[in-house]
Amino acid sequence: MYKELFRKPVNRRGLLRGAAYGFGLFGLSDLLGDKTAFAATAQNPMAPRAPHFTPRAKRVIFLFMHGGPSSIDIFDPKPRLYRDHGKPLPFKRPLAFDDEHPAGPLMKPLWDFHPGGESGIPVSDLFPHLRDVVDELCIIRSMVGEGVDHGAALLQTFTGTSTFTRPSMGSWTIYGLGSENENLPGFITIKPTLSHGGAKNWSSAFLPGIYQGTAIGHAGLEIETLRAEPIEYLIQKELTGEQQRYELEMLENINRRHAAMRRYDPELEARIQSFELAARMQVEAPEAFNVESESQATKKLYGLDDPVTADFAWQCLLARRLAERDVRYIQCTHSYKWDQHTNLFSLHSQNALEVDRPIAGLIRDLKSRDLLKDTLVIWAGEFGRTPVSEGGDGRDHNPYGYTIWMAGGGVKAGFVYGATDDIGYHAVEDRMHIHDFHATVLHLLGMDHEKLTHRFSGRDFRLTDVAGVVAEKILA
Amino acid sequence: MAPNPSLALLFGLLSPLLPAQEVDRELFEKSIRPILVERCVACHNPAVLEGGLDLTSAEGFAKGATTGPLLHPEAPERSRLLAAISYEERVKMPPDGRLEPEALDALRAWVEMGAPWPNNAGPVAVSAPSNATPAFTEEQRSYWAFQPIGDPTPPAVAGSSASAIDRFLLAKLEAEGLEPAPPAGKLTLLRRVTYDLTGLPPTEDEIRNFVSDDSPSAFEAVVERLLASPRYGERWGRHWLDVARYADSTGNDEDHRYPHAWRYRDYVIRAFNEDLPYDRFVQEQVAGDLLPAEDGGEVNVRGIVATGFLALGPKALAQQDKKRMLYDVYDEQLDVVSKAFFGLTVTCARCHDHKFDPIPTRDYYSMVSIFARTQSFADATTHVAKLLSRPLVPESTYEIYRRAQNRILHKKADIQQVVDQALARRNEQLLPETEAYMLAAERVYGGSEDTDADADAEAVANSLGLEPDLLESWVAYLTPRDIPRPHMLAWREASPGARSEQARAYGEQDRARVAVWNVSIEERWSEILSLRPEMEEPPPRRPEVLEGTDRFFYDVHFHEDGPMAVSEEAYEDVFSAETFTRLRSLGEQLEALEKAAPPTPPMATAVAEGEPVLQKVFLRGDYRSLGEDAPVGFVSILGDDHPPPDPSGSGRLELAQWLTDPEHPLTARVMVNRVWQWHFGEGLVRTPSNFGKMGEAPSHPDLLDFLARRFVESGWSVKDLHRRILRSSAYRMSSDITPEAYARDPENRFLSHFSRRRLAVEELRDGLLAIDGSLDLSMGGTLDDGVGTDLENSNERLSLDPLTIHRRLVYLPLRRANLPTLLGLFDFGDAVNSVAKRASTNVPPQALFMMNSDFVAERAGNLAASLLEETDGDVAQRIDRAYLTILNRYATAEEIESGGDYLEQFVHDGPGDLAVHDAWKSFCKILIASNEFIYVD
Repeated sequence: MYKELFRKPVNRRGLLRGAAYGFGLFGLSDLLGDKTAFAATAQNPMAPRAPHFTPRAKRVIFLFMHGGPSSIDIFDPKPRLYRDHGKPLPFKRPLAFDDEHPAGPLMKPLWDFHPGGESGIPVSDLFPHLRDVVDELCIIRSMVGEGVDHGAALLQTFTGTSTFTRPSMGSWTIYGLGSENENLPGFITIKPTLSHGGAKNWSSAFLPGIYQGTAIGHAGLEIETLRAEPIEYLIQKELTGEQQRYELEMLENINRRHAAMRRYDPELEARIQSFELAARMQVEAPEAFNVESESQATKKLYGLDDPVTADFAWQCLLARRLAERDVRYIQCTHSYKWDQHTNLFSLHSQNALEVDRPIAGLIRDLKSRDLLKDTLVIWAGEFGRTPVSEGGDGRDHNPYGYTIWMAGGGVKAGFVYGATDDIGYHAVEDRMHIHDFHATVLHLLGMDHEKLTHRFSGRDFRLTDVAGVVAEKILA
Repeated sequence: MAPNPSLALLFGLLSPLLPAQEVDRELFEKSIRPILVERCVACHNPAVLEGGLDLTSAEGFAKGATTGPLLHPEAPERSRLLAAISYEERVKMPPDGRLEPEALDALRAWVEMGAPWPNNAGPVAVSAPSNATPAFTEEQRSYWAFQPIGDPTPPAVAGSSASAIDRFLLAKLEAEGLEPAPPAGKLTLLRRVTYDLTGLPPTEDEIRNFVSDDSPSAFEAVVERLLASPRYGERWGRHWLDVARYADSTGNDEDHRYPHAWRYRDYVIRAFNEDLPYDRFVQEQVAGDLLPAEDGGEVNVRGIVATGFLALGPKALAQQDKKRMLYDVYDEQLDVVSKAFFGLTVTCARCHDHKFDPIPTRDYYSMVSIFARTQSFADATTHVAKLLSRPLVPESTYEIYRRAQNRILHKKADIQQVVDQALARRNEQLLPETEAYMLAAERVYGGSEDTDADADAEAVANSLGLEPDLLESWVAYLTPRDIPRPHMLAWREASPGARSEQARAYGEQDRARVAVWNVSIEERWSEILSLRPEMEEPPPRRPEVLEGTDRFFYDVHFHEDGPMAVSEEAYEDVFSAETFTRLRSLGEQLEALEKAAPPTPPMATAVAEGEPVLQKVFLRGDYRSLGEDAPVGFVSILGDDHPPPDPSGSGRLELAQWLTDPEHPLTARVMVNRVWQWHFGEGLVRTPSNFGKMGEAPSHPDLLDFLARRFVESGWSVKDLHRRILRSSAYRMSSDITPEAYARDPENRFLSHFSRRRLAVEELRDGLLAIDGSLDLSMGGTLDDGVGTDLENSNERLSLDPLTIHRRLVYLPLRRANLPTLLGLFDFGDAVNSVAKRASTNVPPQALFMMNSDFVAERAGNLAASLLEETDGDVAQRIDRAYLTILNRYATAEEIESGGDYLEQFVHDGPGDLAVHDAWKSFCKILIASNEFIYVD
C-alpha cells in the first residue's frame, strides 16, 4: 500500500521483523487496491451504497447566496409593482424580521427584465450571463420557508429545522449514498459562513461524525490563503515521500505487533486501515484542488482572471473539479452579501457582478463536459426579499414566496415552476416548502425521503421530519 | 377540489390563492384537527374505540363507526357525522356539550367539500382527559426504574473475600458460565487509572514509584493521590460539562457569546475537586440563587453561578416569534434537567403524551411552567433577544456601579450635544451654498462636455470663494460611480440647462431635512435635561437616521466620506477654538469619571425568578391552542406527595428538593450509573440519560441499587463512590479477552474483562502536551477578552484554537456554531445536546492529524530533543525512555532492537545532527500515532 503511494521500495531489517507476526506486512494493500474492494470493506462507513431507486443525479453543487437575494428583482417579474409603486401593502404584513420599523410602501423592481434564450424566460439585468444560459435552468418561483431571520432560515434550508440541531442535507446525502471517491471527503463546503448557524449548517448532528461536511476555509478567508492547504492536515510539510513511507510502514509494523497480542478487537484493525486510507488521500487529493492547472480559456470562462469575479470563480471551478472526481455533495457560498435592507440597487448590483459570470461559466463548463446531466446544480438564498421597501431604498426578508433554481441532474430545463401572488409576497401556486425541496433533492439523488432515516434517542429521524412532498412536475 | 368563495371567507386565515392541496392541508390543520383533538379523540381513538370509531387517522375516519360510515356517499349534507354534531337526532356528539357554532360551521363546510384528509397529516393527538389525574396502568407503575431503590445484600461467592461490587459481578459471571480475567499488570493499571481520574498520563516518577512500591496498599495510595489532584476535577468536571451541554455561546442563529459562562465551568471543576455532595450540586444548578450562601454571605455567589446549568443552553435569539423562542428555551431547559438528573426524556411529551413512557403532556407543561416562571433573558422582546447576566455583588454595590455608568453616559451626551450644536452652526453657515458647491464640483469632475475637465479643485474654489477642502469632498461624493446611485440619478442625468435647478432642489431638500433633524436633537436634549441632576436613568438614545429614506441627507452628513460630516480628528480644524476648548474640557471630565468609576462587578450568566405564569397545556405544542391548566408540578408517576410549590415562586426550589429527596427513585441511580460508565466505558444501564422504556434495562439491577443506596448514605459523595469502584477487582482486571468470553459476551456486558477504550480528545491533546512538557496547568478564568465580540464571518466567530493554546482543553471557550475542528475530528459531540456518552470513531482524517499536523510533529520534535539532550548517547536507554514517556511502559528487547534499526536506517540527506534529530522525531511520532498510545488497556 504505502509502496504504491510513495513509489520507492524499502527493504530494511527493522521492517521485515514485523512480518514474523504473521499478518503479511502489506497484505492489506492488495485488498484496498481497487474501488470494489473499497466498497466491500465492511467497516467503511463511506462505502458507496445503492440508492432506493435509479437516481437522476449523482451529485449536488449547491450555490448558496447568503443574505437573501431579491427574487422579484431577478427572476420573478411583477407588473403590478410598477403600477402600484409607492402604494401601501394591500394586506396585513405577515410575521416579519423587522417589526420595529413600519413597512414602507410597495417598491418596483430596480432592474429591467428581458427574456432569455429560446425559452424566453425573463431574467433581470442583474444577471445578464445567467440569462444567456436560462434554457438550462429550472426556475422555482414558489419556495416557502419559516425562518424570517437569517439564522433560522439558514438552518432550515440546510437541516430542515431551526428549532433543533439536526443533520444537514449534505450529511444525509452521504449517509444515504456513501462516496465513490475514497480519496476525498464525500461532502465538501467551500468557504462556508461562520455566522447564522455556522458549522451547524454542514454538521452531521447525531449522524456519525464522518458524515459532517469538510470545510475548505471559511467565508472570511481569501482564496490565496486556501490554495496552500485547502483541507487541514492533508499536506506533509517536513518529510520526503520516502521518509514518510518508511515511517508509516514502521507504524503499521508496530500496530500489527500490538494487535497480535490483543485478540478480538476489530477497532485495532480498523485503525490500521484508517492510516492506509489517509495516506491515499494525502497523495491524491491535492491534485483535485489544483485549480491553477486549468486552461486559460477555462479560467476566463469562469472569470478567474478578473479580481471582481475571481473569488466565486475559484469556488465554482473547484466545485467542477470536485464534481468530476465524484465528490457527492459540494457547496459554494457567496457570503455574507445579499442582505440589502437599504441600498439595494448599489449592493445587489455589486453582488451580482461577482457571481453572474462564474455561475454561467460553471453551467456551460458542466454542459460541455457532459457532467450537467447527472450533476444537480442548485442556486438559492435563505429567503427572498419583500415587495415593500425598507429603510427607504432596501427590502426586508421574505420567506413566504421566493425563487431558487436548479439545473441539470434530472430537472426540466428552461422551465418555470410555481408562482407567487401578483406582488411577489406569498407563493400561491405549486408551493414548494423547504421540506418539499429537500424531498425533491433526495428524490433526484435516488432516495425516498421517508425511507432515509436514522434512529437516535429512541426515534427515527428524517431530513424532512414528518413532511415533504416531491415536486413531480419539475422532474425531466 | 377548488374551495368555494364562502369557504375561503369562512377560513379567513387562508390566503385565497393557495393551491387546492395546500388549502386542504391548512384547512384541516387549522380548523378540523383542533376540534378532533379537543372534542372527539379522547373517546374515538384506537385504544378506547368508543362506538367502534377511531378519529385519529384518515383510515379510521373512512372506516366509520360500528353503525356505519360517517359520510353519505351522494349527499354530504345527510351524513351521519353532521347528524350527530347537529344535536338534532338521537345520537348527540360530543356528549359533553354541543360544539361551538364556529366549529359546527367548519365541520359542515369540510364535510361538504368531501372531508379532505390530507396525506401525511399525521395522527390526531389524544390528550389527557380534562382536569383528571392521569390514570396509570399497573404495568406502568411497576416499571423497574420507578420502584424505590432497594437495599440488596451482595450475593455470597464461594471462597472469596471479594468486595461487594465484585460479588454482584461474580455471581452474574458464574450464572453466565464466564470467568473473570486475571488482574492487569501494574503498569497497565497505572496508565488506566491515571488517564481515568486525571485525563493525563502517569509521569516517569509516578511510574517508578508505583513499580517500586510493593505494599498491598500501593494502588489505594495511587487512587488517593489522583483523587486529591486538581487534575481530577478538570477531567471529571468535563464529564459533567458534557451532560450539561456546556458552551460559551448561544449557538443557533446568532451565536452570541455567553461572556460569563466560564464561571459555571470553574464551579463544576471545583465542585468535583472539593467533593461537593451531589445532592447539593443538583440543588445549586437548579435553584442555587434561591438558596442561602453556605458561607453566610449576603449574595450566594456559588449558587447564582451554578444556575448557569439552566442558562447556558442553545437559544435562537433572533427568532421573531418571541413566544415560540421562549417556549423553545423552556423546553431545552426541561430537556437537560430531566435527562441529566433523572434520566427521562420528558420533552417527548411537548406535543402529545409520551409515546413510550407514562408522561402525559400535562406533566410536561406542569414542569415547563417552572421555567416559564423563571427569567432567562434580560429582554426577550427585542429584535435580537438580550441575554441575562446577574451581578455577583450585593445590590447596593451594584447600584453604585450602575449610577457611575449613567454619569459616564450623561457626560458623553454632553459632548455629543456640543458637537451637534457646532455642526448646526456650521450647517447654517455653509448649507446655503450647497448649490454653489455642487455646480463647482461638477466643473471639476467633468460631468459634461461644457465643463473644463482638467479643472483643479483648489483653483475653482479660489475663483468662486469656496473652501477648497470642502469642494474636494463634494467632488469625491458627486463623481459618478460605475454602479449608478439611484438617488443621484436626477443630478447625473440633468441637462446642462437644468443643472442649477437640480442643484437647488437637492440643496433645498437637504436644508429642510436638516431643520427636522435639528428639532429632534433639541427635543432629545430637553429630555436628557429632565433626567438631571439625578441621572437615575441613562440618557435616551439618539434619534435614528434611516439611511435609505433620505440617502442624500444621510450620505452628506453622516457617512464618513460625506462632505458635511466632521470626524473627531477634524474637530480642532473645523470647530471654533471656543468649542474645541469646551470639548477638550468635557473630554477630560469624562476621562476622570471613567477613571473614578468602580470596575465592572463580577457577573454570571444565570437565571432569576420571573413573573408568575398561569400555564396551560399547549395542544400539539402550539401556544395558540390552549388546553387545560397545568399548575407547577413534576413527573406524576413518580408520586405527587410533595407539598404544592409556593405560588409566588417559580417552583425551582421545590423542583430541587424533589430531585434530591433520598427516596427519589432515579436521581441517585442515574448518577451512580454515569460514574460507573465513565470508569468502565459502559453503564450498568447503557443509556445513561434514558432510564425509560426506550432505554436499556440494567445488566446488574441489584448492583445499581446497592451503589445508589451507598451513594446516598455516604452523603452523596462522588469521591467515596470512586473509591468503592476503584477498589474492586473488576476495575483492576486485564483487558485480555478469552475466546469463550468473546463467544458468549462479545459486548462485555457481564464484565469478564476490562474494556479497552480510545482516549477522548481532551486526553489525547492534553496528554500529548503533558508528555513533551508543554502543558500549561494554570486553572480557571476566561481566555476571552471583554464581554463579547461578534463580527460576522470573521475569526471572532471561531473558537480559540486548542492546538496553539496550551491550557487544558476544558478551559478553552467553546463557540457552539464553530467548534474547533479538532473536537469534531475526535468525537467531542456538539455542545448543543446533552452528551451522555462520547462516540469513538476511527476515520482517515484522524490518521491524517497524526501523520501531518504541526501539533503532533511539534510534540515529537520536542520529545526527540529532550531524549537526545538528557541521556548520554545510549540508544537503548533512549528508546526505553521514549516508550516510558509515551506508552508508559518499558520497551522490550525486541522493540529496542527494531527501534534501533529504524533509527539507524532513517534516510536523510541533511547534516548529521539534523539527521539524528529527525530520525528520533519520526520515531517518537510513530509511538504517538500508534494504537498502543491512543487505546488504554
